Amino acid sequence: MNTRFAKLAIASAVLSAAGLAAAADPIKIGVAGPFTGGSSSMGVSMRDGVRLAAEEINKSGGVLGRQLQLVERDDEAKNERGVQIAQELINKEKVTATVGYINTGVALASQRFFQEAKIPVMNNVATGSVITQQFKDQPENYIFRNSAHDSIQAPMIVEESVTRRGFKKVAILADSTNYGQLGRADLEKALSAKGMKPVAIEKFNIKDVDMTAQLLKAKEAGAQAILTYGIGPELAQIANGMTKLGWKVPMIGSWTLSMANYIDNAGPGGEGARMPQTFIQEPTTPKRQSFIISYLKTFNPKNQRIDSPVSAAQGYDSIYLLAAAIRQANSTDGPKIKAALENLKTPVEGVVTTYNKPFTAQDHEAITANIPVFGEVKGQRVVYAYADDQKKASEVRVKK
Amino acid sequence: MEILLQLVYSGVALGMIYAVIAFGYQLTFQTSDTLNFGQGDALMLGAMVGLTLVNFGVNYWLVIPLVIVFGLLQGALVERIGVRPAIKIKSEFGWIMSTIALGIIFKNVAENIWGRDDLRFPSPLPEVPIKLLGANVMPMEILVVGGALLMMLAVEFFNRKTIYGKAVVATFNDRDAAKLMGINTGLVITFSYALSSATAGFAGVLIAPLTLTGATMGAVLGLKAFAVAIIGGLTSGLGIIVGGIILGVAETTTGFYISTGYKDVPGLVLLLLVLAFKPAGLFGKNAIKKV
Repeated sequence: MNTRFAKLAIASAVLSAAGLAAAADPIKIGVAGPFTGGSSSMGVSMRDGVRLAAEEINKSGGVLGRQLQLVERDDEAKNERGVQIAQELINKEKVTATVGYINTGVALASQRFFQEAKIPVMNNVATGSVITQQFKDQPENYIFRNSAHDSIQAPMIVEESVTRRGFKKVAILADSTNYGQLGRADLEKALSAKGMKPVAIEKFNIKDVDMTAQLLKAKEAGAQAILTYGIGPELAQIANGMTKLGWKVPMIGSWTLSMANYIDNAGPGGEGARMPQTFIQEPTTPKRQSFIISYLKTFNPKNQRIDSPVSAAQGYDSIYLLAAAIRQANSTDGPKIKAALENLKTPVEGVVTTYNKPFTAQDHEAITANIPVFGEVKGQRVVYAYADDQKKASEVRVKK
Repeated sequence: MEILLQLVYSGVALGMIYAVIAFGYQLTFQTSDTLNFGQGDALMLGAMVGLTLVNFGVNYWLVIPLVIVFGLLQGALVERIGVRPAIKIKSEFGWIMSTIALGIIFKNVAENIWGRDDLRFPSPLPEVPIKLLGANVMPMEILVVGGALLMMLAVEFFNRKTIYGKAVVATFNDRDAAKLMGINTGLVITFSYALSSATAGFAGVLIAPLTLTGATMGAVLGLKAFAVAIIGGLTSGLGIIVGGIILGVAETTTGFYISTGYKDVPGLVLLLLVLAFKPAGLFGKNAIKKV
């Protein structure tokens, strides 16, 4: 009798423990990005921002009483790896949502699986204009973004070079990837809106070590500035090539000019490059200050410089946006989270901006043209290009 | 004119980068009729080891001999593990896979030790261009061209004038006869692999300040160098230099005069032409294989 009672007690104890565990099952969030390779400085900073946000949320009790569990996968910036990872995250890990994607090509190849599985994706770094438009014709679109897309960046670059700095002749240098060529098209469009045509449009490949031909063509065409769309290592080769030719014109380009591997590899020749940034590593608001302090404390990057501050900030914000949506949906069901994202009732205070109704059913872009500012490479860091922007930085720019 | 000169300068510098790597292919082909397809990775290892030493505070010029020693060991290892078993069983193709496999292993090891990001190799010479007949060159580019030529001359001198070099040539001409004459052909082949990796390592340290340094740097360069070796001829040192310069100048001039989108095309078309009309390469000797 006694032993039977003991057995029962143990059994019920085990059962209740199991029940507890079930109630506190973590919410799995997929994190996909290149943590190795040429775009890794963005991928790793994004991942670290995501980790930081998830850790903070978990410390304060998680979401719906459950902890967030990150499932991080390295897509190596390869489309086919991205596809494998998408399938793994959906079918094996059964994630609630996924954040990430640095490379436009990888995002386009991978997110169709999430769309089919009705799992929301928050693109937090990739900027290709088509990313959120890929499933526009379908009744429900599960693809969101909180980075500044190329149709914002390209006009900003043109505005900066043509209107603010008055360059009449500009050349475009873009790499041969999806990212570079889509960006080049956006740049050409933005230029023609100003009634201009680039004097030279040149291409280069990933891993190219010599940019003489491209730069000479730009120089011969009389370019006063070079507009770039590429990633860090090759952008550095452009800056090095200009040093070699003894021909120095301003480089203005997409936000990748802020990548650590551009700044480090270009050295002194890379100074002065300007690019649109959603976030600059300056403690201009209390939220930004606490973000920078805890990032530096947790990950201790080299020279106290976040490798890609924009990626880190956007990665961090993407988790808070998702967490808010899961809370509001009161569910981990994909369609419900999507519906909540499209109608977020409470504003989310992020590092980049305060997200007040960032998405609607039609509009899946959290960042509008008024949010990014211009950054400039100065003293091996990215700083505000305009003192005015820095002065006004404490007034958070919100979506219009 | 000034433009053309600038394009030629850059093309020559680029071509010499290809040529130094291609030279390594030629070295092993001359002794054993085999190639080390991990040549690009040997170059990468040399550059990475060099970078590590430089970061430890070793002077650049002191790093070079250390990297050469490292290359010798690495090459000997490749030969012992990958090539010798294949030669022993007279396998025609075994060495192809095993050298590729070893190359991939080296790359993965490097990724784990140094990460996959591209790193900056501090330049030992000032990074200010020099005006030469109206066009600009970087001091480092002159060093690459000079260093590469010097290295090739040294190896050629060794092969032609020294008794050990004669053993290398004899092994190439007729391995069995050389063996009967008392030459330790196995050792000669090991040595040629060691030498080829040493040149690759040396090339790595030489070009790293110009290219970027990273675990994946060898892949594209190794492939282009292979094209150079085919164009110039796998049996000719001079052919390698000429082939490299042709490919380099073709890339920069096509990029400028036609389109940067097509810059790799003419070199590869030339490769196809050479394979069709002069399979031994522009400067290669047609070897008659007696079976």
